[in-house]
Amino acid sequence: MSNEHTVKSYEEELQHLTDSVIKMGSLTETQLVDSMDAIIKVDKDSIDKIIKSDEEINKFRSKIDTQIMTLLVKRAPMAIDLRETISSLKISQDLERIGDLSKSNAKKIKPLPLDLPEELLSNLKRLGDLVIKQLNDVIDSYVNKNFDKAKDVWEKDEQVDDLTYIAMESVIEFLSKDKKNLDFSTHLIFATKNLERAGDHITNIAESICYLIKGEYLKGNRPKGKVIQE
Amino acid sequence: MSDIKIKSKNLNVYYGNKQALFDVNLDLNEKEVTALIGPSGCGKSTFIRCINRMNDVIDICKVTGNIEIDGIEINSKELDVVSLRERVGMVFQKPNPFPKSIYDNISYGPKIHGKGESKNELDEIVENSLRKAALWEEVKDRLNEPGTGLSGGQQQRLCIARAISVNPEVILMDEPCSALDPIATAKIEELIDELKKTYTIVIVTHSMAQAVRVSQKTGFFHLGKLIEVGKTEKIFKNPDNKMTQDYITGRFG
Amino acid sequence: MWLKELLKNIEKNMTKEKRLKKRHNAEKRFRFYGLASIFLALLFVLILVQNIFSKGSSAFMKTAINVDVFYDPELLGVKNGATKDEILEADFFDITIETLLKTYPTNNLDEENQLIDLFTTDAELEIKNALINNSNLLGKTVSLEITSSDDIDQLHKGNYPRDLPEERRRISNFQLSIYDNFLENKKIIKNFNNYFFKNGDSRDPEIAGIGGALVGSFYSILICLLLSFPIAVLASIYLEEFAPKNKITDFIEININNLAAVPSIVYGLLALQILLATIQLPRSTPLVAGITLALMTLPRIIIPCRASLKAVPPSIREGALAVGASKFQSVFHHVVPLALPGTLSGTIIGLAQALGETAPLILIGMVAFVVDIPSTPIDPSSSLPVQVYLWSESAERGFVEKTSATIMMLLSFLIVMNFLAVYLRQKFEKRWN
Repeated sequence: MSNEHTVKSYEEELQHLTDSVIKMGSLTETQLVDSMDAIIKVDKDSIDKIIKSDEEINKFRSKIDTQIMTLLVKRAPMAIDLRETISSLKISQDLERIGDLSKSNAKKIKPLPLDLPEELLSNLKRLGDLVIKQLNDVIDSYVNKNFDKAKDVWEKDEQVDDLTYIAMESVIEFLSKDKKNLDFSTHLIFATKNLERAGDHITNIAESICYLIKGEYLKGNRPKGKVIQE
Repeated sequence: MSDIKIKSKNLNVYYGNKQALFDVNLDLNEKEVTALIGPSGCGKSTFIRCINRMNDVIDICKVTGNIEIDGIEINSKELDVVSLRERVGMVFQKPNPFPKSIYDNISYGPKIHGKGESKNELDEIVENSLRKAALWEEVKDRLNEPGTGLSGGQQQRLCIARAISVNPEVILMDEPCSALDPIATAKIEELIDELKKTYTIVIVTHSMAQAVRVSQKTGFFHLGKLIEVGKTEKIFKNPDNKMTQDYITGRFG
Repeated sequence: MWLKELLKNIEKNMTKEKRLKKRHNAEKRFRFYGLASIFLALLFVLILVQNIFSKGSSAFMKTAINVDVFYDPELLGVKNGATKDEILEADFFDITIETLLKTYPTNNLDEENQLIDLFTTDAELEIKNALINNSNLLGKTVSLEITSSDDIDQLHKGNYPRDLPEERRRISNFQLSIYDNFLENKKIIKNFNNYFFKNGDSRDPEIAGIGGALVGSFYSILICLLLSFPIAVLASIYLEEFAPKNKITDFIEININNLAAVPSIVYGLLALQILLATIQLPRSTPLVAGITLALMTLPRIIIPCRASLKAVPPSIREGALAVGASKFQSVFHHVVPLALPGTLSGTIIGLAQALGETAPLILIGMVAFVVDIPSTPIDPSSSLPVQVYLWSESAERGFVEKTSATIMMLLSFLIVMNFLAVYLRQKFEKRWN
C-alpha cells in the first residue's frame, strides 16, 4: 500500500498492531529454539527460563486483542485493513498455541535420561530445525507481505509430516528396546507430536497471510505427508 | 440474479464546457438497492439526476448517450418527462415537503396524474403511502397539519411517502440521511430494506458504512468516471481497483 | 523576573479593560443616536398629525340654524295630498324666502339680503328634500335644521376674527347681531357634516364635499388594480420562471427597474399624448386615470413580485418536478402561492402610492370643477389628492378645514392599506412556516 491513511492515527494504530504481531512472533521463535536446544542437550537448567518466557508471549496476546477491539470499534476497517485486523487476530492465536507447545516440550525434558541414542536425537533435531525454519519463514513472509514465501511454508508442511513420521519411528524403536524406557518414551512421543502440531499452527499462519494478501483462501487441501495414526 | 431495470451506455454529461460524466456504463438491477459512492463532485448526483431527467431543469446541462429503463430509451425528445417522473421518483438530501398539509403533500402527485378520482380513493392512496413509509401511525391523527411541522426524520419519510404515492418503479435517493440524526437514519435504512422488495432503489451516499448496510450492488465514481462496480460485499471486502480500495479505507486525498 | 511579568500582565489587563470600556461606550452612543433619531422622527410625525387634525377635524361638523318651515300648499302651487312627482315639480323658492325672513326682523331689502346670506345657498334644496322625504308634512309646520352659510360656519367654529373693522370683514355688524341673537336663543347647532361625504365639489364651502373625489378615486384605483395586477403578476412569473436567461431578459429587467423610478408626471404626459390626444378617450375620467396609474404601478408590482418568486427556494420546485408535475404546474401550484404574500403586500403598497398621485392626474385634466358624483368610470370626476390641490388654492376660509379633512381621509386610507399589507404578509408567512 503505497499511500497512507488520511488520518495519521489510523495509520499508526495499524502499524502498532503489525509490530505487536511481529514481536510476538519473534518471541515465539526464540522460545521454540530454546526449547528445541534444551531437548537435544537434555539441559534441565533452562526449563524454568523457558516456562517463564511463555508469560511474555501471553501478555502480547492480550495486548493484541485490545488493539484489535479498538481498531474495530474506532475505524470500522474495510477491505485490506479489515483483513489485516482479522488476520492479526488469527495469527496471534496460532503463535500463542505454538508458545504453549514449546513450554509443554520444555516440561518434558525433566525426566529424560542423559544418554539418549544419537539417531533418535538427530531425527528429532532435524524435525525441530525444520519447524523452526518454517516459523522463521512464515514470520518473514508476514513482515514483507510475501505471498510466495507464505505459500511455500504452506506447502512444506508435507515435509514436516514426513520428518515427524521418521522421528516418531525412532522413538517407538527406542521404546520397544527396553521396558525401562517406557516412562520417558511417552514424553518423547508427546514432544514429537507437539512439534508436528506446531508445524500445523505455522501452516495456519501461512494461510492467514495468504488470505490477508490476496483476499481469498488458498485452494485445495493442505499437502499431507505420512501420518501416524493416532 | 435479478433482471436489469436501468441501463446506461456511454453516458456523458456536460455543464457548459465542463464535462461532469465520462462514458458511464452502469446497469442497475430490479428490486435491488444500488449504492453510488465517491468523493464530492465525482458525478454520482449528476448520474442519478439523469435517470429522472432532473438535469433538464438546468439550462447549461447537456446529456449524450443512452439510458434505458426496461429497454426504453429515456433521453429521446419524444418521451414525456412527466410520465417518466411518475415511474421514477426522487428523494432529496434535505427533506423538502411542500408547505401544505400532510394529506395534501401525499395526494398532490396522484391528483395531477389523474389517479384517485374520488375522495375515498385519495384517502386510500394517502394511507397506503404513509404506511409503506412507516409514518402512518405517527401522523394518522394529524393529517391536516402542515408537513413542515414534522421533525427532520419524519419529514424525510414524508418525502419518501410522497415519492411512493404515484406508484413508481424506481426510487432515486440523493444522500437521504445526511441531514438526519442516527435514530432517524436507522429508521430510513430499515425502510429501505422493506422498500427494496417492491421498488428498484438507487442511493447516493457519503457514508461507506451505510452503503455496506443497505445495498446489494455498489458503484464507485471518481472525477466523473465509474471506476468500479460490483457486489457490495466484494467492493468493501476485496475491491479489484486500487483507487476503490484507497477511497474506502480512507487513503484518499 | 516574575515581578516584571506580573506587572506586564496587570498592564495588559488594564489596557484590555480600557478597550472594552471604549467599545461599550461606542455601542451606547450608537444606541442613543438611534433612539434619538426615532424620537425626533416621531416628534415630527406628531407635529404633522396634530397640525392636520387641528385644522381638519372641524370639517366633520357643520353649523346649522333651527328654523320653522310651514309647507304652505298655496305657495308651492300644489293641492293638499299631492303626489311625489307633483311636489318634485313644485317651486320652493317662495317658501324658502318666507321661512328665512321669518327668523329675524329686517327693515330694508339690504338687511333682508344680509339675513338670507346667513343661510346656505342650498337652503331651498334642503327645505325641498325634507318634504320629499316625508310628504305628510305638506300643510304642516315643522322645525328644520338649515345649514348655515360658510361664513357663519367659520364664525361659529371660531375661525373668524370678529374684531376686524367692518369693511375688512365678510360679515357685517348686522349679520353679527343676528348671529348673536340666534346664539342666545339656542338656534345655532352643530351637526354631523354628511355633506362632506355625500356632495361633490362646490363653490360654496359649506356644501362642498369629497363625494365626487371619493368615487373618482375609487374607480381610478379599481381600474388601476384590474389592469396592473394581472399583467404585472403574469409578467413577473413569465420573466422569472419561464423566460430564457439571456441578454434580452436582462435588458428588460433593467428597464423595469428604471421605470419604477420614473417621475409620475411623465406618465401624465404619456397619457395626455396617447390616451387623450391619439386614442381620444374622454378627459378627466377615472378610466384614463386608471390606465395612467396602472402604467405607473406595473413596475412597482413587478419588482416585489419577482423578488418574492426568487425567494421561493429551488427545493420546492424540485420537489414538485420530481413527483411528476409539469413546469407550469410546479410554478402555479407551488411557487406562486408561496410568493403571494410578498406580491400582495407589494401590490397594496403600490396601490397606496397610486392613491396619492396628483401630478399625472392633473395633466389628464382632473383639475376640472366637477360637481356631480360620477356614476360610471367614463364620467368626468376628480380624485382625492387633486381635490386637496384644488381646494388649497381657493380663497374661502371654509376650504382650509376641508382641505385638511381630505388630507386626513387620504392618510387614513393609506395607513389602513399599509396595515393590510403588513397583516396579509404576516398571515401568509405564518402558514408557510
